[in-house]
Amino acid sequence: MMPRRATRRVAASAVALVAALILAGCSSKAAETGVGGGQVKSDVGVSADTITLGVLTDTSGPFRNLGTGITQGNELWVDQVNSAGGICGRQIKLDIADSGYKADVATTQYRQQQPTILGYLQLLGSPINAALRGNLETDKVTSLALSWSSFILDNPYQIIPGTTYDLEMINGLAHLQEQGMIADGDTVGHIYIGGEYGENGLRGSQYYAQQHGLNLQGVKVASTDTDMAGIVTGFRGAGVKAILLTTTPAQTASVLNANAALGLNVPVMGNNPVFDPATNLAGPAAATVDKLFVAASSVPYSSDVPQAQEVRKAFEAKYPDAQKNAGVPYGYAGGVVWQQILEKACQAGDMTRQGVHDAFIQSSSITTDDLVASKLDFSNAGSPPSRSVYIAQADPSQPGGLRQVRPPFTAPEAQSYVAPHQKQQ
Amino acid sequence: MTTFVQLVVNGLGKGAVFALLALGFVVIFKATGVINFAHGSLVLIGGYLVAISVGALGFPAATAIGIAGAGLAALLIERLLVSRSRLADPNSLALLTIGVDVVVAEDIFRRLGTTVPYLGAPWDAHPVRLGNITLFSTQLVALVVGLVLITAFFLAFRFSDWGIAMRAQAENPEAAALMGIRRSRVTATAWLVAGMLAGVAVVFIVTQDFSGIGLSRTTHAIAFAAFPAAILGGLDSTAGAVVGGLVVGLVDALSAQYVSFDFAKVAVFLAMLVVLVARPSGLFGTREVTRV
Repeated sequence: MMPRRATRRVAASAVALVAALILAGCSSKAAETGVGGGQVKSDVGVSADTITLGVLTDTSGPFRNLGTGITQGNELWVDQVNSAGGICGRQIKLDIADSGYKADVATTQYRQQQPTILGYLQLLGSPINAALRGNLETDKVTSLALSWSSFILDNPYQIIPGTTYDLEMINGLAHLQEQGMIADGDTVGHIYIGGEYGENGLRGSQYYAQQHGLNLQGVKVASTDTDMAGIVTGFRGAGVKAILLTTTPAQTASVLNANAALGLNVPVMGNNPVFDPATNLAGPAAATVDKLFVAASSVPYSSDVPQAQEVRKAFEAKYPDAQKNAGVPYGYAGGVVWQQILEKACQAGDMTRQGVHDAFIQSSSITTDDLVASKLDFSNAGSPPSRSVYIAQADPSQPGGLRQVRPPFTAPEAQSYVAPHQKQQ
Repeated sequence: MTTFVQLVVNGLGKGAVFALLALGFVVIFKATGVINFAHGSLVLIGGYLVAISVGALGFPAATAIGIAGAGLAALLIERLLVSRSRLADPNSLALLTIGVDVVVAEDIFRRLGTTVPYLGAPWDAHPVRLGNITLFSTQLVALVVGLVLITAFFLAFRFSDWGIAMRAQAENPEAAALMGIRRSRVTATAWLVAGMLAGVAVVFIVTQDFSGIGLSRTTHAIAFAAFPAAILGGLDSTAGAVVGGLVVGLVDALSAQYVSFDFAKVAVFLAMLVVLVARPSGLFGTREVTRV
C-alpha cells in the first residue's frame, strides 16, 4: 500500500495536471477563429457579446498622474459606448494593468493580457513600447502607443494617435517666431532627455534651426537629473532668446524657477509630457510657471472645444476628486479612434486581430471631434498621423493648469519635415 | 565672467546642503564606525512629517516636528536594531541599514501616492540679486544654517563631555569603556543627532531652488548624492564634510558647464577617486596607523 503522504502527492499532481489541461484548453479555444453574433469573424479578445481591449498604463511610476488621467478618459469612453449599445452588438471591456513605467514589469503584464485582448487601447511609455515592440508584431496586437516618438513609426502595430515630438517642437518654434519671441539667427537652448523621447524632440528643433539659421544649443540630461540651474546659467551666458524642453515635469519646474531667479525670463516651449499640474503647480512652482508654453496634439483639459467640455462634465461627475490633466480628454480620444476602427472592421465582417489591423492601416481620416488637433491618417506607413498642434500656456487659474492660446495649426516647416521612417514622395 | 561667478555661487550653495547631509553620515561613522545607508530614508521621514503638518501648524512648528521625528526615527533604528547587534561587524550593520532604508523609503512613497508636496519653506523661489549675480535664497539660508551647525559641532566635539566621550570611543572603544564612558549613550546620541540633521537638510532639498520638485524619490536620490562628499572629506571629519560638500557642489556646477552635463556626474566621482588615491582616508580623515 502506498503511504498516505505519497498518495496525497499523487493526487495533488493529478489535480495540477487536470487544471493545466483545462487552462490550455481555454487558451487554445480563445485563439480559434470563429464566426459569432451577426456573421463577423473573430479570434482573440472578441466574443459573441464582448470586445476586450487592453490598457497597460502607469499608475504608480513617474507618469502616474498622466497615466491615471488617460485611463480615466478611456473608461469614460467605455461607459458612453456601452450605454449606447456597444460596438458591433458587443459591449467593450477593459483589461487594465499597471507597469509602473518599468519595461520588465510591462513584459510580464503583457504575457498575462495578450491571450485575452484584441489590442491595446493604451500602451503608455517609450521604454514599454520599445520592450514590447517585437511581441506586438509577432502576436499582431494593434496598439495605441502613447509614446509620441516618430522613431517607432516603422512598426505597423504601434499606432501613435497624434503628432510626434519632432513635429510638436517644430510647430512650437514656429509659434514662438510668429509671436515675435524669437527671430532668424537667434540663439535657442534645448534641454532634452537622452533616449527616444528627448532625441525625437531634438530632431524637430534641429530641423527648424536649420531652416531659420538658429544657433541651437542642445544639452542632454538623464530623466533622473533634477537641478537645471547650472544649464540655465549657461544659457543666460550664451544669450538664449528661448528655452526648449523635452524633459520631465520636475526638470521643467527647475528650469522655470532658474529662468525667473536668474532674471533671464525668456519664453519656454515644451513637448506634451513636460507639464504635469501635480508637479508644476505645486507650491512655489506656480509662481514661475506662466513662461511655459506646451505644444501638443491633444487639447488641454480646460479647452473650449465642445467635445472637451462634454468629457470634462462626464469626468467631474464620475471622478469628482481626481486630478485633472490633459490625459483625460486624450484617453477619451483614444477610445474614439478605436471606435471608428472597430466599426470599420465590423462592417467588413472581420473582427480578428488581422482584420482590425487592416482596418487601422487603411484609415486615412479618423476624427476625434477636435480632441486631437487634426484628422488622423494611419495609412501612410512611417509618416506621423498628424502634423498639427494646439498651443497652450501654463495658467494656474485654469482647471488642469493649461490654457489653450491657439487653435490647431500646422506650420509650413511641419508640412515639409520628413520623419525618420517616412517614405519620400 | 558673470556666468563663471554665477556657477561658483550655484555650486557653493548646493555644496552647503550636501555638507549638511554629509555631516549626518560623519556623526554616526565617527561614533560607531557604521556607514548609515538609511540616511536617505531619515531625510524622507523628516520631509513627510513636515508635509503633513505644515498646513495646520505653519512652517516653523512643522519643521520642528520634522527634525524631532527624523531624530527619533534614527534613535529607534539604533535602539531596536543596531544596539542589539553590539558585537556585529560595522560592515554588517551598514548592510542592515540598507534594508531599513528600502522598507522605510517605500512606505513613505506609498503614503505619498500621487502627491508631490512642497514643505512650504518661506525663502524658496525668492532669489536675491546682486547686480548680475543671483543668490538662491534656499542655498543662502542653507549656507548660514550649515555654518552655524557645523561650528556648533566643532565646538561640541572639542569641548563638551559628549564630544570628548565620542572621540574617546572612536579612538579606542575598550579604553573608553574602562574609563566609564557609556558606549550605548554615546552611540544613541550620535544617531539622534544625525537623524535631526537629516530633518534639517530636507527642508532645503525639497524646494524649487534646490531640486525643483516636492517630496519624492528625487529627494531620496539627492540624499545619496551627498555620499561622495562625506567620503571625499574623510568619513570621520566634520570639517571634511563641509569641505567635501563644497567641493562636490563646485565640481558638479563647473564641469557641467565647461565640459558637459554628462561628465559632471562622473567628475564628482573622479574627484573622489583622485583624493582617495592621494589620501586614502579622505581630505581630513584620520589616517589609520597599523603596526606591522
